[in-house]
Amino acid sequence: MTNSTPELEDADCILITGSNTTEAHPLVASRIFKAKEKGAKLIVIDPRRTQIARYADLFVRQQLGTDVAWINGLMHIILREGWENKEFISTRTEGFEELKKEVQNYPPEKVEEITGISKGDLRTIAETYAKAKKGTIVYAMGITQHITGTENVLSLANLAMLTGNIGRLSTGVNPLRGQNNVQGACDMGGLPNVYTGYQSVADEAVAKKFEEAWKVPLSRKPGLTIMEMFQAIEEEKVKALYIMGENPMVSDPDLHHVEKVLKKLDLLVVQDIFMTETAKLAHVILPGVSFAEKDGTFSATDRRVQRVRKAIEPLGEAKPDHEIICQLAQRMGGIDFQYDSVEEIFREIAQVTPIYQGITYQRIEEDGIQWPCRTPEDQGTLFLHKDQFSKGKGSFFPIPYRQPAEQIDQEFPFWLTTGRIGFHYHTRTMTGVSPSLQKEAEEGYIEINPFDASELGIEEGEAIKVTSRRGEIQIKAKLTFGVGRHVVFIPFHFVEGAANILTNTAIDPVAKIPEFKVGAVRVEKVEERMNA
Amino acid sequence: MDKTREKMKRMLEEKEVSAILALRRNHGHPTPFLFTKAEELKDWVADEANRYPLTKLLIKIARKHQSDVIGIIVRGCEERSLVELLKNFQLRQGKVKAIGIACSQELANRCRCDQPFPSQVEEGQVAKPATDFSDLEEIEKLTEEDRFQYWMSQFGKCIKCYGCRNICPACFCPTCTLEDANLIKPGGMPPEIPIFHLHKAYHMADRCIDCGLCEEACPMGIPVRRLYRRVKKSVKDLFGYIPGEKEDEKGPLEFLGDGSYELPGAGK
Repeated sequence: MTNSTPELEDADCILITGSNTTEAHPLVASRIFKAKEKGAKLIVIDPRRTQIARYADLFVRQQLGTDVAWINGLMHIILREGWENKEFISTRTEGFEELKKEVQNYPPEKVEEITGISKGDLRTIAETYAKAKKGTIVYAMGITQHITGTENVLSLANLAMLTGNIGRLSTGVNPLRGQNNVQGACDMGGLPNVYTGYQSVADEAVAKKFEEAWKVPLSRKPGLTIMEMFQAIEEEKVKALYIMGENPMVSDPDLHHVEKVLKKLDLLVVQDIFMTETAKLAHVILPGVSFAEKDGTFSATDRRVQRVRKAIEPLGEAKPDHEIICQLAQRMGGIDFQYDSVEEIFREIAQVTPIYQGITYQRIEEDGIQWPCRTPEDQGTLFLHKDQFSKGKGSFFPIPYRQPAEQIDQEFPFWLTTGRIGFHYHTRTMTGVSPSLQKEAEEGYIEINPFDASELGIEEGEAIKVTSRRGEIQIKAKLTFGVGRHVVFIPFHFVEGAANILTNTAIDPVAKIPEFKVGAVRVEKVEERMNA
Repeated sequence: MDKTREKMKRMLEEKEVSAILALRRNHGHPTPFLFTKAEELKDWVADEANRYPLTKLLIKIARKHQSDVIGIIVRGCEERSLVELLKNFQLRQGKVKAIGIACSQELANRCRCDQPFPSQVEEGQVAKPATDFSDLEEIEKLTEEDRFQYWMSQFGKCIKCYGCRNICPACFCPTCTLEDANLIKPGGMPPEIPIFHLHKAYHMADRCIDCGLCEEACPMGIPVRRLYRRVKKSVKDLFGYIPGEKEDEKGPLEFLGDGSYELPGAGK
């Protein structure tokens, strides 16, 4: 997040898109409800009428995968009406003319046709957000899990810069990170192209610094993303895979393909706390520990680095992740992989990571600190981009709208989108073994509009067949006006009737994230068995 | 709080109690802790900013250590909840020793508490009651339709986390109506409204000691205390009964129950 979770409370316009905030990020939602009660305007743009959409001043559905179009459309109206922040544009940004030229191509009539959002609604949204003193954008996977994920995010950034809604309290562009430490995993360089703190592996100075710190030669070539790894396994360029705390056998698109690929490996190592669907395919399973059995830090969605403390000793043969990694590394000859404590590891992190440099265990003994925090005196950073962007001026990117990878047709006439429910976490590795959570949501379902269901003769709770170009599942129908006509939604948590048997592996060319949020499917009644 | 700390120390040293349940400062934050040694008491805090349902935690501890007498630090509301728990056989008479502490006037005002002190305190001045039912008066001024809309809009924010129930020091049934699939459909965000919240409210009518922890715990800011205060008021007006007041007086709605929540291990 460019800004902090508590700041949302004081925004006067909140635009939520692609986020089922109450179910997936309830504590963020709680701040939004507070803002709303203080009089903030709430706009929700989502294919589904989510719980928080019921509280919106304006809720509109966009056609799946048309985000760039409606965002360009809003900018078109803002520029036509002169609602842009001219001072911000001239002093803080570059590339405005190119952006202006591109958004000329998105008059409301055309945008309405592409996105399904009416001209009137587009104007209201543009006016409300542009005229807000503190307008903030909140988004999640509904924006990123597209082949245009990167372009969607850049478009939201364009919109925020155009209206000067960034670099101040309670404004900004705020992606909500999923698990408690997704932000931390990325901060630690759990990405193929960067070291800790987003320092590029291709940057010579950075590479030299790490070579000096670790006393080993390092590659300047970025590694592979998940989808690229699968490709490389297929091409037999990758023979061994070590998976930690991930369950691609439920979470990745086109599961039949995932299984085929994983089975091709010479060596699959899985490190997890429970026997996951992926661990079942592993040659070696390394038992990790839960949050309660380990020390360290978690970094929250608003860049807050906080301590996690061991409550109980690791159970059975399980070991904390850092111990497993260090022991493995030592056996491979990495003699430096020796630490007396996790604090020692953290000191090393701070030493080589400018944005963490000022953070010590002592400073976060009681409360966390938000990075960037560069010196021992630095109090941390509530919101980013205050006086300038990290690169100086903020660049506008002119972005033309591109259609999603898959379109509906006669054979596959329904749009499929996937997502989460509040009672489960990702692939249910943890929540699936909680009886109280499992009781609330035992099995998957498909949300279908009652009009569509009626045309197909489908009743509430009936098991139906859903087919895509990748595969087919049987799943219970849930009739709801929460989804629009010709759109179906399946929560992806469940193994039985797994949504990801259906999803498309098409990826964003930059971020390599698959298009989980748009697919084409056929929905049918299950043929009744003939009596023998 | 030196006198209270001295008393706690004496109770532990003289084995008057096996342990004392209270708050301890832990990495800068107060958390519940079962003190068993006198020297640990240097970390004891009576933090006002963070309240915990200590009496509820005591149920589990007492069940595990049935022969022990356990001390517990109580404010006014917590003492009232002890009364309810003893009355309903969740704790055993004579196995719990309460040590009272007074709330500051500031906390009493913040809680709108009409009895911000327990029956006995070791030290300090007790705060004046901060009786304030303006929240009820305000909502009762609304028309029925507006009132209904108000509550439906509040309930609609619910994420069914059960936080209001889990933190409630007067909620202790081993099987909970809120999780009975015959009464309330499993799942749902929001859950079935208003029935989910009304079930809870009904159960609070002759049990709620108005501590307000439920409302503090609600992540969605639903004013549940307002609802429970209303049903509590009905019971007071109809039956003259005030939960948490007298140990030997049964709640008027109890005849409806079959006593199945009287757990094994609890004694009359």
